[in-house]
Amino acid sequence: MIGRSVSRRRRIPVRLDPGEVIAAAHGAGVVLGGARVLDDVTVDVRTGEVLALVGPNGAGKSTLLSVLAGDLAPVSGYAELIGRPPRRWSAAEAAMRRAVLLQQVSLSFPFTVAEVVRMGRSPWAGTEREDEDEQAVAEAMATADVAAFAERRFNTLSGGERARVALARVLAQRAQLVLLDEPTAALDLHHQEMVLGVARRRAAAGDAVVVVLHDLNVAAGYADRIVVLSDGSVAAVGSPQQVFTSGLLSEVYMHEVEVLDHPRASTPIILPRR
Amino acid sequence: MSTDVSRTDSQTPPADAEVRRDRPPHGGRRAPSRRVRAAVLIGGLAAALAMVAVVSAGSGQLAIPPGEVAGSVLHRVDGGLESLLARFGVVADLPLDVGPLPSHAQGENTLWLVRFPRVVLAMLVGAALATAGALMQGIFGNPLAEPALVGVSPGAAVGASLVFVTGASFLDEWTVPVAAFSTGLCATLLVYLLSRSGGRTEVVTLILTGVAVTAVASALVAFNTFVANPEAREQIVFWQLGSLNGARWPAVTAVLPFVVVGLVAAVLLARSLDLLALGDRAARHLGVNVERLRIVAIVVVAMLVGSGVAFAGVIGFVGLVVPHLIRMVAGPGHRVLLPASALGGAVLLVGADLVARTAIAYADLPLGMLTALVGGPFFFWLLRRTRSRAGGWA
Repeated sequence: MIGRSVSRRRRIPVRLDPGEVIAAAHGAGVVLGGARVLDDVTVDVRTGEVLALVGPNGAGKSTLLSVLAGDLAPVSGYAELIGRPPRRWSAAEAAMRRAVLLQQVSLSFPFTVAEVVRMGRSPWAGTEREDEDEQAVAEAMATADVAAFAERRFNTLSGGERARVALARVLAQRAQLVLLDEPTAALDLHHQEMVLGVARRRAAAGDAVVVVLHDLNVAAGYADRIVVLSDGSVAAVGSPQQVFTSGLLSEVYMHEVEVLDHPRASTPIILPRR
Repeated sequence: MSTDVSRTDSQTPPADAEVRRDRPPHGGRRAPSRRVRAAVLIGGLAAALAMVAVVSAGSGQLAIPPGEVAGSVLHRVDGGLESLLARFGVVADLPLDVGPLPSHAQGENTLWLVRFPRVVLAMLVGAALATAGALMQGIFGNPLAEPALVGVSPGAAVGASLVFVTGASFLDEWTVPVAAFSTGLCATLLVYLLSRSGGRTEVVTLILTGVAVTAVASALVAFNTFVANPEAREQIVFWQLGSLNGARWPAVTAVLPFVVVGLVAAVLLARSLDLLALGDRAARHLGVNVERLRIVAIVVVAMLVGSGVAFAGVIGFVGLVVPHLIRMVAGPGHRVLLPASALGGAVLLVGADLVARTAIAYADLPLGMLTALVGGPFFFWLLRRTRSRAGGWA
């Protein structure tokens, strides 16, 4: 925070190889306002994969994301970010290792889009990777399709545009672990596919992407592994084909769900029975 | 330990056409233009400050032309530097002793004993209050946070008035600013703790909390006024109106260290304050130690407000008007906002004090009254504007 002398002592992250565990929750339990919102959840996140968290409202998806991000300390069990509890990293060191896109994006002063995206580079201020700043910002803005309104004020944008600016900020951070909480909620079909495409490319480049999703078909189409949460616990973990079964989904969502084979692709199609 | 600074996707562009390698228009061109704008703003404010200071020092019952004011300052600076060099064994005749000296027999004394301390104190108080306002707005994430409006200045006034009543002097000339800082800090913490819920500060909650804190602080000041002896009572009454009347060098040296430390600390917080605009959680995700930032900023606010209030009384709205005007010109980035607000506050208060001294012949109007006359309607306009834009601030 104060000055650059502190930043010199920050430990610059070493990139993990594909397939290594970058973050994990081990038997994590979280109590919020007296209610147990997460109970004995064990999940590992590996580099090179897109991990989707799905489940009904209130299942604990965002809470699990907060635990992995280090926002919440579990009351039982523990979380891990590159070999140590996330909250044992200093805020600055954690910021070089994981980027987080929150569900709600707000801004209390009228910064421009370019300024907001550039904020994503602040963890690297005073390090040698500061040299990447301009390139990282330009690339993130192009990837999130926000370059066209770079000079507009954030507060004048629509909900979907704001969400993409926030995504660009997260991408510009260039952390190896990317946590996205419902990144597609405000987006149109094209931009929804674009965001998940970005997630796939980041994973292919060796990053780890954890994404909270409501649309099960999107999850089936883009995730390597899926964690189905139900009532604060893990109901299933595995590939889309393994976890997306009619029986499991019908039970978890308390609504009858059909799972069909796609005529041309290997991904299943999930439909609620109407 | 090897440090991997390369990233696959930064070196080899993904095959998809989404990523364009050529730089979008904001890349190279935007930053310099913004920097130029900031430089022009800060340079312009500095020039304006020098001008208004010279004019103010020359105005009054004994009018001294600007050329003579500048000449007097240059001669003193020249003499001071030469004697400083002489102390290191260097005998030099610096060419700074140019310009005419005051032609009136009392000119030199009027400038150096009466006018300059007053002008310098106005600068310090204005810089302190405007910076404190910008800092509070950043920390609260609320553009209506202002020291006098939310009870911080009245809180600081409690400590200062207590010193006047008791005649305490345990810290020599620093007694008043330290006392003002202490009670100002209590008030700032109180406002902060009471007005935040769920990591947010709503406009309504903030203003109403300010009303409550101000009520209690005013009651304490009123009690101090009540129990004071007639002499101290008159001192408190006029001081409360907000005035630089009677400012002398000891007052300047008493608040100078607080203002300087406060301004430097504020500028060091600038980058983190920008990130805080994203909200607590997002700021933390970007590496800001939010709790520490808040505590440091609150102490700095109390220091700045305490030094502003100590000898000049409660002067409102400087911390509201100045940062807003700066934001309109230079945008909300704190790295420009904070230093520019300091300069702008200094210009505003030196100018306002000039008006207070000269608007009515042989009368020294209260400065706090003047700033409130202008600042009140401005605040009302801002309030309307904020409320009409649901949650937004553009």
